[in-house]
Amino acid sequence: MLFFRSEEMIEAWCRSHAVARGGVATLDQLWRLSAAWNAGRLDHDPRRPGPAQARAIFAGAGLAGPFWDPESDAFD
Amino acid sequence: MNADRDLDVRLAVYRRLIATAAAPTAGEVAAELGATAADVREAYARLAQRRLLVLMPDGETIRMAPPFSGVPTQHRVIVGATEYAAPCAWDAFGIVAVLGGRGVVRSRCEQSHAPLELRIEDGVGADSQWRYHAAVPARRWWDDIVYT
Repeated sequence: MLFFRSEEMIEAWCRSHAVARGGVATLDQLWRLSAAWNAGRLDHDPRRPGPAQARAIFAGAGLAGPFWDPESDAFD
Repeated sequence: MNADRDLDVRLAVYRRLIATAAAPTAGEVAAELGATAADVREAYARLAQRRLLVLMPDGETIRMAPPFSGVPTQHRVIVGATEYAAPCAWDAFGIVAVLGGRGVVRSRCEQSHAPLELRIEDGVGADSQWRYHAAVPARRWWDDIVYT
């Protein structure tokens, strides 16, 4: 989970590492995702998001599809 | 230790990490809670099973207490006068989120190594050309969370 200064840098990195392009988000989307994902992190008994909640958090950041679906077998 | 006490251990780890930016030893947590280091190590193992901590192979050094890193990384987060390490780009933003929403993220473009310095305050603007890339699909993140 890395930062890149542009989409072109992602493509170049994927080519040079023989890695398929994965999930890409803008920094605004990443902020919304991180803020929602970490809500309650410092509670005494935190609950890791289950699959449905995870999908909802990703959707809230505008991220959908099998890559972001914790139950998808599209990449098995 | 019971499950509730494990959560006390977890919160003690976070208190120490937030205050010092360093992951505490089992002995330090034990001293705070009036427990033994052995009890704390056992709690660490159970918390790791629940994916609430990630430990080094020695079973007691904290590698991750998400979104914080217990070891140095290229993703640095400054909140107030304290500089934290994050395991990944996502968690760098996560540290700012859990510590109140204001901070500076310092990292780099993984391809060009161009430096990133981003001030976060009232969210992040939508105009940046910088991007976040996850190579591993969500279903596989915990197959190898350190690589992820």
